[in-house]
Amino acid sequence: MRLDQDSGRGSVSGITGFAASCCLPFLLAHQNPDGGWGYHPQAESSVEATGWALLALASAAHEPYFEVRMRGLRWLGQAQLPDGSWPPFAGQSAGCWVTSLACLALQVQDQCPAAVTRGLNWLVDAWPSEGSLGWQLRSRLLGASSIVRQDSSLRGWSWTPGTASWVEPTSYALIVFDCVAPQFRPAGAERRRRLAEAMLYDRMCPCGGWNSGNPQVYGVAGEPRVGTTAWALLALRNRAASAGKQCSLDWLQQAYGGIRGPASLSLAYLCLRAYSRPAAPLEPALWDLYERNQFLDSLLVFAWAAIALSDKLVLLASGERGEKGVGT
Amino acid sequence: MSLEAGTLRPPFARSPSRVAIRRVASYEAGLADVIFETVQELGLDVRARSVLLKPNFVEPDPAGVIDTHPAVVSAARECFLRLGAREVRVGEGPGHERDTEAILETIRLRDFMGPLSGVFVDLNLDDVAPVSLRTRASNLKKVYLPKTVLRADFVVSMPKLKTHHWVGVTLSLKNMFGIVPGCCYGWPKNVLHWAGISRAILDINGTVRPDFSIVDGIVGMEGNGPIQGTPKPCGVLVMGDDPVAVDGTCARVMGLAPERIDYLRKAGTLLGQLASDKIIQVGESIASVRAPFAFLDGFRRLRAT
Repeated sequence: MRLDQDSGRGSVSGITGFAASCCLPFLLAHQNPDGGWGYHPQAESSVEATGWALLALASAAHEPYFEVRMRGLRWLGQAQLPDGSWPPFAGQSAGCWVTSLACLALQVQDQCPAAVTRGLNWLVDAWPSEGSLGWQLRSRLLGASSIVRQDSSLRGWSWTPGTASWVEPTSYALIVFDCVAPQFRPAGAERRRRLAEAMLYDRMCPCGGWNSGNPQVYGVAGEPRVGTTAWALLALRNRAASAGKQCSLDWLQQAYGGIRGPASLSLAYLCLRAYSRPAAPLEPALWDLYERNQFLDSLLVFAWAAIALSDKLVLLASGERGEKGVGT
Repeated sequence: MSLEAGTLRPPFARSPSRVAIRRVASYEAGLADVIFETVQELGLDVRARSVLLKPNFVEPDPAGVIDTHPAVVSAARECFLRLGAREVRVGEGPGHERDTEAILETIRLRDFMGPLSGVFVDLNLDDVAPVSLRTRASNLKKVYLPKTVLRADFVVSMPKLKTHHWVGVTLSLKNMFGIVPGCCYGWPKNVLHWAGISRAILDINGTVRPDFSIVDGIVGMEGNGPIQGTPKPCGVLVMGDDPVAVDGTCARVMGLAPERIDYLRKAGTLLGQLASDKIIQVGESIASVRAPFAFLDGFRRLRAT
């Protein structure tokens, strides 16, 4: 799908030209007949792609999208597993990290409160495996503790059940819990949040920023990455100021000018805006990258770009400052 | 793609494997001709088949040390199209970096290969299907794999010649971790680590055994690979239709005894030939291109003595 740059500049209800003329048409054109979205056009509906598409459309908040969003939300509701989690694709039997995104998409749009509650409960109970007895034994046998520098008592969330905490799924979970007012969070949520926050700081790279979660291996400092740094900072945005946050923001700001991928660029821009840090305008860079590869038809990129360009910043809704319960 | 049962056989039930070592001075050399002549010499037929090239694209690395060089990928694509393949696509699912396009743009794949739309597939975000693993080295039993991989007639593993700080070396077999989809297993694909990296390598390759391997050893990586090592110019491409034999040959070029590498030794019992007397070298001899790599202390025991 190619869009004409010159004819496409406009504005739709608070969103700027690139989102209105490129991102939203892509999302609207590629909703599947079942109501969900796939990672690419004609791909099977997936929970992650559907969650991000819904969040992007919520950023636009344009009334004609109401029916589109409702169909997406219905698909998402139906994909939930009996234990409250969501699998990557409908029909798969095990829930995983996408549960946070599904809850976030529903919560931001005040939909399906019962489903969100069950999802949050699942998240509170979904402990990663490091720190368990089996993990400690395995770690000792492999000598892993001398190779990787981390405090394994600080646990966040894993990508899949039975594996270790990583920065990105931990950040997603923190973001969704932040969207819900404290009194509506499940029991145990506060402990998980505190541990997860500490885990994020523990996994921060020595020079600031985050990679997937290995700050130091064999004594060598890990290199931060843009995407994970942006997610971690967004997850920590409502927490107290800290030197770690500041140096990570400095790193991201410095890296911004050299970013070559549209996904990283959109996430970095969103994050810097959230912290009121200056960043060069996103749109011209997105147009250039779009002209090169059409974002490889990746729905996630179109959705993240739309969210980053929106005035609404739906991801940054905070339950701390209001009485926002689940589905209220 | 080799899902048929015949791919799992002990060495005594296999013919010797042929592995070609080609000396290539630089990425500017006529790579497509080198690969074309080698594939012809090894007698592979890809006419009317859909070919999937699986490079090792890991990080946005402008220095060209971490990732399979785009010139090699482009040359392989040109070669297989020249040999009559119906289509030749490039697919990769990076293990850490979610922004795959950032990697492709940084290494300038488009500049070497032309427009990527319809050619490159992000295997992390592909549609998936469940596949029962045909071996039980790990406890994985079943994994979801990208449909692009499952539908390909001919899979080519195209790793970089690198050390690996967990398993010693990362070559054709380890490179196949990149077909495991991040959308199901995350970034990194931590489930493979928990299953045991060596065991997971065996199970993934026992199920999706690459039909051909092209190892980019023009500039490899030594030391703390696969990301934080240092460049190691070796000036070779290593190719063959037995990934175990190819990896064994690469290990020997790197100055290692492949039998001391856990997953290679086990792969040599079922997935291909590892013993040097069962590998027929084509082109350069190992001795003539051997370039001992530097390794982290824990892997010095792997050295050939």
